[in-house]
Amino acid sequence: MRIRALVLLGTIAGLCLLLLTLQMRSRASLASDALAIVTTPVQTGLARVNRVAFGAWATYLDWKNVRAENGRLRAEAQRLRVEALQVGEMADENRRLRRLLVLKESLPLETMSGEIIAREWGGWVRSLTVNRGRTDRVMRLTAVIAPEGLVGRVVDVRPSASVVQVLTDPASTVGAHVVRTRTSGIVEGDPRGTLRLKYMARDGAGIQVGDLVVSSGQGGLFPRGIPVGRVRAIDDRGSALFHYAQLVPVVDFARIDEVLLITGDATRDVAAHFPGDGS
Amino acid sequence: MKTLLAVAVLGGGVVHATLGPALRIADVAPDIPLIVVVLLALRRGPEFGCAAGFVAGLLQDAAGGGLMGVQALTKAVIGFGIGAAGGRLRVRQPLVQVPGLVLLTILEGLARFALLQLFRFPAPFGELMTYVVLPQALYNGFLGAALVLALAWSESARSA
Repeated sequence: MRIRALVLLGTIAGLCLLLLTLQMRSRASLASDALAIVTTPVQTGLARVNRVAFGAWATYLDWKNVRAENGRLRAEAQRLRVEALQVGEMADENRRLRRLLVLKESLPLETMSGEIIAREWGGWVRSLTVNRGRTDRVMRLTAVIAPEGLVGRVVDVRPSASVVQVLTDPASTVGAHVVRTRTSGIVEGDPRGTLRLKYMARDGAGIQVGDLVVSSGQGGLFPRGIPVGRVRAIDDRGSALFHYAQLVPVVDFARIDEVLLITGDATRDVAAHFPGDGS
Repeated sequence: MKTLLAVAVLGGGVVHATLGPALRIADVAPDIPLIVVVLLALRRGPEFGCAAGFVAGLLQDAAGGGLMGVQALTKAVIGFGIGAAGGRLRVRQPLVQVPGLVLLTILEGLARFALLQLFRFPAPFGELMTYVVLPQALYNGFLGAALVLALAWSESARSA
């Protein structure tokens, strides 16, 4: 066994030395060519295996990178969507608060801002709950307004919240008049969630669809000139003493989030501080 | 045996060609065929080690484009020597593996240099030893030790 190994080593050593000698005696090409017959196919095979292995590895790495990138981009897109929603929400809130602040600062009235924290929209009762209460010195029957117009009045004061009866509540009544014609009447809530202007004198009424109705200020509860609604339809009852008009509230009670509570004297005319109809 | 030899040596060549560039650290690449030859010689004896060293070295010579037969001869001698001394070496000890492979790589480098000098092939000794042989020897030592440990672990896992 040992002799066989020694013979093999001797043979290999001799072969290598012969190869080297041939190469040094300017017969390099002959020796190289002879070897190339054996080594070139092997090298070609190795290179092919190498390429395949590297190709597979590169494909795997690409796939892994693409997958990781895909996951990262999905998370990024999700985050950006949430951020966009938040930004939109904040911009919207900012715009609303700005309008409320402008109104608060321009009104010649003492007011306090409040945030809507609950809504009761059953039909029997239509009310909003504001995060201002007894601790903020809110009184019962305090008028509540928004930049668009009148919201309602406080009907229940709790330690840190108040319940506001909105104009569309069936029990709500507000003295009002049509801006264009000065026709007086009473605005009442309707179980369907709309408003009705009642008890208008037939003679000389002349109201039209689209006319703006504002608070009359009678009774001293609501300041004069706060928009209440716009005439949507006129219900002419022929020879009846009074006739009625259906109104669309100027305030969207379902979407309102911030309000002003009038805490001081409410007898002033504030019509100039609300959007009118030019009449 | 021939099939095993071919698979082992070509496998070493494939690993060298495929992983060699990837395993390069600071422009130093390990001599994977040398490690494969040493491992084969330790397990299969001097004949196998000698043949494996010859084939692996010849392929490296052909791939390198230098004098053909230099690495074939040095690796064959190393394969033979390690195969013959295998029984007396405690190769499972990392304290033997790392310095052993470092020493073998240096010996192979010296042998290659001697052969090149013998055949009047220009090669600067100092630079070759400093920048090529010694860094590669260290790399081979650690990589070879890791391979031996991995093989020993897989064998023990298989037998358990």
